[in-house]
Amino acid sequence: MTDLKKIKKEAEKEIGSAKDLKELQDVFNQYLGKRGELTQILRSLKDMPKRERIMFGKDANDVKNALTIAFDEKSAGLKAGEARAAEEKEWIDVTAPGKKIAVGHLHPLTLAKRKTMEIFQSMGFAVAEGPDIETEWYNFDALNIPKDHPARDVWDTFYLKDGPLLRTHTSPVQIRYMEKNNPPLRIIAPGTVYRHESTDSSHEFQLYQVEGLMVDKDISVANLKAVVGEFFRRFFEKEVDFRLRPDFFPFVEPGFDISITCLVCGGKGCSVCKETGWLEVAGAGMVHPNVFKAAGLSPEWQGWAFGFGLERLAMLKYRINDIRLFRSSDLRFLNQF
Amino acid sequence: MLFSYNWLKDYVKSLPAPDKLAVSLTMHFAEVEDIKKLAGDFVFDIDIRPNRAADCFSHLGIAREIAAIANLTLKMPSVKVPFLGAVKTTDLVEVIVQDKPACSRYTAKAVTDVKVGPSPKWLQDRLKACGMRPINNIVDAANYVMLETGQPLHAFDAEKLQGKKIIVRPAKKTEEIVTLDGDKFSLDPTILVIADEKKPVAIAGIKGGKDTEIDKQTKTIIIESANFNPLAIRRASKKINLRTDASVRFEHGLDPNLAEFALNRAASLMQKIAKGKAAKDMIDIYSQKVSPVQINLDLNYLNGLLGINIAKTRAAQILKKLGFKIIKQTKKYLLVEAPTSRSDVSLPEDLIEEIGRIVGYEQIPAVFPAASLIPAKRNDGLFWEDMVKDILKAVGFTEVYNYSFIADKDAGELVELQNPLSAEQKYLRPSLIPGLLTNAKKNAANFSSIKIFEIGKIFKKDKDIKEQKQLTALMTGTDFYQLKGIVDLLLEKLGISSVWYDDYQPTPEESKLELWHPQKRAEIKTDDGEIGFLGEILPIKAVVFDINFDKLVESVSGEHEYRPISKFPAVVRDLAILVPRKIKVEEVLNKINTAGGAIIRDVDLFDIYEGEEVPDDKKNLAFHIIYQSEEKTLTSAEVDLVQQKVIKALEKDPSWEVRK
Ligand SMILES: [Zn+2]
Repeated sequence: MTDLKKIKKEAEKEIGSAKDLKELQDVFNQYLGKRGELTQILRSLKDMPKRERIMFGKDANDVKNALTIAFDEKSAGLKAGEARAAEEKEWIDVTAPGKKIAVGHLHPLTLAKRKTMEIFQSMGFAVAEGPDIETEWYNFDALNIPKDHPARDVWDTFYLKDGPLLRTHTSPVQIRYMEKNNPPLRIIAPGTVYRHESTDSSHEFQLYQVEGLMVDKDISVANLKAVVGEFFRRFFEKEVDFRLRPDFFPFVEPGFDISITCLVCGGKGCSVCKETGWLEVAGAGMVHPNVFKAAGLSPEWQGWAFGFGLERLAMLKYRINDIRLFRSSDLRFLNQF
Repeated sequence: MLFSYNWLKDYVKSLPAPDKLAVSLTMHFAEVEDIKKLAGDFVFDIDIRPNRAADCFSHLGIAREIAAIANLTLKMPSVKVPFLGAVKTTDLVEVIVQDKPACSRYTAKAVTDVKVGPSPKWLQDRLKACGMRPINNIVDAANYVMLETGQPLHAFDAEKLQGKKIIVRPAKKTEEIVTLDGDKFSLDPTILVIADEKKPVAIAGIKGGKDTEIDKQTKTIIIESANFNPLAIRRASKKINLRTDASVRFEHGLDPNLAEFALNRAASLMQKIAKGKAAKDMIDIYSQKVSPVQINLDLNYLNGLLGINIAKTRAAQILKKLGFKIIKQTKKYLLVEAPTSRSDVSLPEDLIEEIGRIVGYEQIPAVFPAASLIPAKRNDGLFWEDMVKDILKAVGFTEVYNYSFIADKDAGELVELQNPLSAEQKYLRPSLIPGLLTNAKKNAANFSSIKIFEIGKIFKKDKDIKEQKQLTALMTGTDFYQLKGIVDLLLEKLGISSVWYDDYQPTPEESKLELWHPQKRAEIKTDDGEIGFLGEILPIKAVVFDINFDKLVESVSGEHEYRPISKFPAVVRDLAILVPRKIKVEEVLNKINTAGGAIIRDVDLFDIYEGEEVPDDKKNLAFHIIYQSEEKTLTSAEVDLVQQKVIKALEKDPSWEVRK
């Protein structure tokens, strides 16, 4: 009896002081292994008289069960501790930068163009394109800009050696489209345009323009305001106040300049808006009867057209401060989009 | 154009404060770009558009606009002053207009007994505010009336006019003139001059001559107030490269009916400030009389075009304020007469603009068009363009936009500009490659490897000038096969199923352009023919593909067929073969596929090796051959059988050796 108690007490003490799984295994072997002390006692039971065997056997088995539980608990505790220790060795600095994945980038003008196309296509506008090299007829005459008239001076033009010119605006697409398609029509025409002028942070000789045209029997300035307002709202993804004021373009009458509230200062006045609170973003107007005539349409039609510079809109949307960056092909710039 | 606030006050009583006035003008007429404060005055810089130059390059024109916008009264300066001269203009000078088409009206008046000296301060101040330098009271009076009315005037010293004659005629071939500024110009018959009996004394509508200049001794002057053909003045001004306050006004086409008013205004001013005596008569040679036009304005159209309801009375009131006459009114129409000063108004739409802008465009509500929303037709070119861009972006390419211009790089027949901005931009680009090469070089300082592409127009000159959309990509730090893999992927994603690559066969002309590596270059072909090239570029270590985007779009199908995933496992066997160097991989692949048949799902080349351990004229190709059936699990024996068949087929050629 005392042997059992003593074994139990000693075993429990040794289990408790085992520092790792190996030591615990040694303790286990010492008591419960094949040749363990308790194993041998249990084995010797069969040689005992029946009464003694029953009594002693019960006690011995109780000790065995108690020790087994103690071993298991200790073992689980040690295992958890060891796992924790191992994990701790795997500490990483989570503030160190992530590994860079090489991805490509679309040009900001492509992004702005896509957004623009998407908005207008959702309003039923088809996309039309025209050539960069244009004739005097499509670029000027058909648009009611007479030859040798000071009005033509507004468009500084690149001429090619053999006569044609580089279009100064996307408005020729209006004529080309109306020649081939009958109203009612709604189109949006994106494309490159060229201006013979020197460059600075807000002027470029090659630009991306988007032309819009809507023609039907009863299209009004009120409709232009609705469509343009919707475009600004969706393009800039916020409420944008805009205004129309008189301006002159020979191919429209009346003609407007469209300005939006300065997105930088919110209309209070800053250097970007030259303290006016407004930014000119587009020219627009009601299609001039002479333009319909030049495109072969009868006077029953009416409608509006507008044109804006995509660089200007992209500059406002992405807060780009120099228009020359767009065609700089500097990857430090492009990789930000 | 500069305008004095004080000056405008002469014509409009209770003129709004400068800030308020600037906003009104900007919103209803033309943009006030700047207000400069001077001692006792404000200078407005107004961006007057070309259509309004004829009537609004003048303080009176602006005053009329203000009166209409702010609903104030316009006070015109009086010309009903008594002229004090005893001598008749016709006694002092004879005017002969030889070129009537170029000079529709010529008026002249003599002023005698003038005392030339500085003009009064108030007048000098006004001229200075508008950016003009005061000279003497006679010249200043002429300039003052120009700034007031828009009509350029000129004053001749009558005693310096030889033969007492003013002749309006084309210049003669060898004639010259020295202008008031002391500059000498050679003239020719395309240039209209004002001449005396002997020689030109002014370049008509542009600048006066030195010979008949007003000086301190001048006693008698002849004031010229004429109307010249805008085109004639524009061409002459361009030819001699001289733009003046006068020429700019004439270029825009002035109202001939303005000439007389301005002449009398100048004469009365000279009486006042130079103690002169203006003749009671005037010379007036008016050959092409301009009459006002009448326009019938449909009020329904007015409201329909603007999208707002404007009452007939309001429309009529606005037009009257702007100087138009209402000839007749009916319920639905206004018959309107436009003043001859408003040559820009001839159509109902022009009147609608006048009414609309004065009412204010901010009054027009935003209303969505009622027309039914027909879904827009897809633009295929742009759709595929977007798709290509997305694919290239996904595989790590960055998109660039380059200029359409290049410098001469002896690249054959180019489209040349008549007026390039610089020698660097003398031609239109015939290819996107030079631009991308420049981009790669420029970015090399900051990036170790570069992957860029552009979709843009290129321009070629055959019989005609042709423009074409091109897709070009450039990659550094990699090889031909990497880029070829990208081309394969791109074309596959576009649904172009049959693509193959041929050795490049240069035409003699093309081989002059030593841009491409002569060996590492292939033609990319589809069923529609060659669509572009792929290869290594010599100037820098880079690989490039260059595809005719218009042709590419013709080849795309957008078809993408799903191939079921086999339920049965695939078995992979490797195969290495030594072949002569010049044998193409395509040939080997064809043999493997033919011999193996349908059971071969895919053959994947994973290594090409030349060098040590391989004979000089040979290369080693290593493939994974993937066997898979759609019907059953293949046994090892079945696969071995086919693999043996493949090996046998490959070794039919004794120079090919499968490595075991
Ligand atoms: Zn601002």
